[in-house]
Amino acid sequence: MSLEIRAGELLALVGENGAGKSSLMNVLYGLYHPDEGDILLDGQPVRFKSPRDAIARGIGMVHQHFMLVPTLTVAENVVLGREPTRWGRLDLERACAEVTATCQRFGFQLDPRARVDTLTVGSQQKVEIVKALHRGAKVLILDEPTAVLTPQEAEDLFRVARGLKEQGHTVVFISHKLREVLSVAERIAVMRRGALVAEVKAAETHVAELANLMVGESRPGQGTVEPYQPPTGEVLLEALALKALGEDGRAVLDGVTLTVHAGEIVGIAGVDGNGQRELAEVITGLRPLAEGQGTLLNRPLSALSPDEARRRGVSHVPEDRLRRAVVKDMSVEENMALGRQGHPPFARGPWLDFAGRRERTQKLLGAYDVRPPDPLLPVQALSGGNQQKVVVARELDSQPKLLVVVQPTRGLDISAVAQVHARLREERARGVGVLLISLDLEEVLTMSDRVYVLFEGKVTGTFTRPEFDEREIGRRMTCAEPAHG
Amino acid sequence: MGERWRAAVPSILSVALALVVCWIAIALTRDTEVASNAYLQMLYGGIGQWPRYLDGGDLAVIVRPLGEAASKAALLILTGLSVAVAFKAGLFNIGAQGQMVVGALAAAVVGAQLSAHALLHLPLALLAAAVAGALWALIAAALKLWRGVHEVISTIMLNWVAVTLVDNWLVVGPLRPTVTGGHSVSGTAEIFPTAHLPRLLGDISRMNLGFPMALAVAAFVWAWLIRTRRGFETRAAGLGPEAARAAGIPVKQRMAEAMGLAGALAGLAGAVLVLGTEFRYPGVLGAPYGFDGIAISLIGNNNPLGVTITALFFGALRAGGTRMQLLGVHKSFPELIQGLALLFVAGRLVWLALLRRRRTQPASAEVPRA
Repeated sequence: MSLEIRAGELLALVGENGAGKSSLMNVLYGLYHPDEGDILLDGQPVRFKSPRDAIARGIGMVHQHFMLVPTLTVAENVVLGREPTRWGRLDLERACAEVTATCQRFGFQLDPRARVDTLTVGSQQKVEIVKALHRGAKVLILDEPTAVLTPQEAEDLFRVARGLKEQGHTVVFISHKLREVLSVAERIAVMRRGALVAEVKAAETHVAELANLMVGESRPGQGTVEPYQPPTGEVLLEALALKALGEDGRAVLDGVTLTVHAGEIVGIAGVDGNGQRELAEVITGLRPLAEGQGTLLNRPLSALSPDEARRRGVSHVPEDRLRRAVVKDMSVEENMALGRQGHPPFARGPWLDFAGRRERTQKLLGAYDVRPPDPLLPVQALSGGNQQKVVVARELDSQPKLLVVVQPTRGLDISAVAQVHARLREERARGVGVLLISLDLEEVLTMSDRVYVLFEGKVTGTFTRPEFDEREIGRRMTCAEPAHG
Repeated sequence: MGERWRAAVPSILSVALALVVCWIAIALTRDTEVASNAYLQMLYGGIGQWPRYLDGGDLAVIVRPLGEAASKAALLILTGLSVAVAFKAGLFNIGAQGQMVVGALAAAVVGAQLSAHALLHLPLALLAAAVAGALWALIAAALKLWRGVHEVISTIMLNWVAVTLVDNWLVVGPLRPTVTGGHSVSGTAEIFPTAHLPRLLGDISRMNLGFPMALAVAAFVWAWLIRTRRGFETRAAGLGPEAARAAGIPVKQRMAEAMGLAGALAGLAGAVLVLGTEFRYPGVLGAPYGFDGIAISLIGNNNPLGVTITALFFGALRAGGTRMQLLGVHKSFPELIQGLALLFVAGRLVWLALLRRRRTQPASAEVPRA
C-alpha cells in the first residue's frame, strides 16, 4: 500500500468499511505502527511513536467522534495539552487571544468563550479543526467529516477546506459518500481490502465509476427512483401531540404528531439531538410519555413498556448498538435470543432451548452473511457491521408489524448498507410499517415514502416522495420557520 | 469444554502462585524443611493420611479429614454462590456475612423455640434462615433500585448492622437462654435435636447433611442461571442492563430476585453452621465465611461450578490448616493462601483487560485480516 499526499491539495480517500482507510490514516497519525514500510515526510523517513510525534510534524486529525471536553470552552479545548500558563496556572486571557488569532487567520467564526456543549455539531467540528491548526498542522485528516452534518453545514465545511487549501494546507477527506467526495476533492484515492486500487482525478470520474472501483464489481445503481404510492395500509401508529421530557426535564419532544401506515417507510430527518432518538424511545416503550396520546397497533400508546411494545409487534433497531441492542459479552446466539428469550424456538416453557436456538441462529447467520458465522463468539468480537447484521436479523426475524430503526446503516460498508436497505424494502412489501430515523439525509430520502422533519422536538415539515427537496428539507432541519418566497 | 478450561487457567495459576508464595513465607520465617512438612500436614489434614491408611491404618485417618474438609467446604460453597449469583446480576454483594449472621440467628431461634417433628422442624429452620437472609439482602436491593444507593456501600453497612444487632443485643439480651443450674452459657439456647442436620458419618466425622445440601444447591443455581429463561434474563440484566431493558426484560425485578437469592444462600450458610456444628447461635459467630465467599466467588470466576471446585479446594486447605499447628506453623496460612490467590486473580483481571484492549483496538477500526 503506497499513497502520495502532496502539499496543498484536497485529497479524498474512499473505500468500503474495513477497506483500511481509517487504519491507514491512523498509521499516519501515529496511533498504529506499520509492520512494514516507511512513511516519508518531505522526503525524510519518519517514525511516529504516538500522535504526539505526528502533531509535532504538522499532521492533524479530526476524528469521526469528536475528541472534545463538552464542559470546557472553545478556547480551553483548543489549547488543551499545551496551555499557555502564568505562574503555573492556566492563562485564560492569553488562551482566548491565541485562539481568536488562529480563528481569524483561517477565517473561522467561533466564540472562544462559548462552552463546547452549547455549540452545534458543525461548530464543534470547526473547533476540532481549529484545534489541529492551532497546533501547527499542515496536513489535516478528516475522518468521515460529514456523517453528522446537515447539507448546509457540510457545504460550509467544504468551503473551509478549500480556504485551507488556498493557504497551502493539505486536507485529506476519508469518506464513503461519493457525491460529496466528487464535489470537494481534487484527487480521489480508492482503497479496497487494505490496498490502493485506483487514484483518479475528481474532474475525470463519476459516482458509478467510483462505486465500481470501491466494491470491485459492477452493481446496479442504488439510486433507482421508485414510484410513489400514497399509503393505503391500515394505520399502525397514530401519534397526537406527543411530548416527552429529557433527563434534564426539558421537553425533548414537543407536540409531535405523526402516522405510520402498514406497507410504507416513514423517514424522520433531522440534525442529531432534535428529538429523533426520544421519538424512537417513546414508540418502543423505553421512555415515558409526558403528554399527548396515540394508538400503537390498536392500543393506547401511553404507559407502554418495552415488553408490551414487543408483544404488540414492534421491533427496534436502536442507535446505540453496543449499549442498547446487544449484550456485548454474551455470545451471538444468546444475543439472537434477546427480546424473544421466552418464545420458541429459543425456549421451551421455563427452560432455554439450546438446540432450537443454535439452529435458528445458524440459519440467520447464513441468511445475513454474518462473518464469521460462529454462534458461540461473543458479539463484541464481531466487527461493527456484522454486529449490526446480527441485530437486524434478530429484529426482522420476529415478524414485526412495525419496525423502528434508528441509524440502521451507520458504520456499515456499501454492500452491507445495500443489504439492510433491501431488507427494509422487503419488509415494506410484506406490509410492515417502517419508521426510519437517520442522520444521513441521503438515506432518509432514498428510502422513505414520506418524511417528517424534526427540529428541536417539533415537526417542522412533512414531505411525500414526489415533493422531496433536499434544500428545503435541510432548511427545515435547522430552523423551525418554513422559508417563504 | 476447551473454552471452559481456558477460563479456569488464570484461577488455577493464581492459586498455584499463592501456594508458592506462602511456602516461601513459611520457609523464610522458619526453614524450607518445616515449610514442606507443613504443606504435607495440610494435605493430610485436608484429604486424609493416605500413606498411613495404605499401610494398614484405620479408615478414620482419611474419612475424618475429608469430613472436616467437606463441612468447611459446604459453608464456602453457599457463601461463594451467594456472591456469585449477585455478580451475575451485576451486583457486588459484600453483605454475605451480614446475611449469614441473620440467617444463622433465624435458624437458631426456630431450632430452639419451636418444637416439631424432625421431618418438619429441620426444613422449617432452613427455610427461616433462607428467608431471613433474603430479606436482609433485599433491603440493599431496595435501596439500590429505588434510591440509587450503591449496593457495595449498603451491604457493607448492613453487615455491621446485622453483627451489632445480633451479637451485641439479641444474643446477650432478649434471646439469652434462661439460666438453669447456676452456670451461664454464651449464645442462644440450644436447638432441639429434631432441628439438627443429621451427621452422615456417625461419630467419625462432624460432616453432616449440609454438605450434600450445598452441592445440590450449587446444581440448582447452575441450572437456574444457565438453563432457564429467568437465569438468562438475569445474566443479560447483569451484563447489559440497558440492552436487557430494551429487550423487554424487567431488569429491576431480575436484579431484586438475584439479590434475594444471594441473601437466601448466605442465610442457608448460617443455618448449616448453626444446625450442623454449633447447635446454637454462639456468642460471637466465629469465622467470617461471608467474607470468604467473596474470595471464593472471584477465584471461581463467579461461576457455580468454579465456585464449587474452589470451595472444595479451600475447604480442604482450611481443614488441613489445623494440622500445620503440629509444626508450630500458624493455622491461618490457608487464609493467607486464599487471600493471595484472590489478589492474583484480581491482578489477572487487570492484566487481561489491558491485553484485551490492545487486541481489540485494531479490530474496532475494522482491519480486514488478510
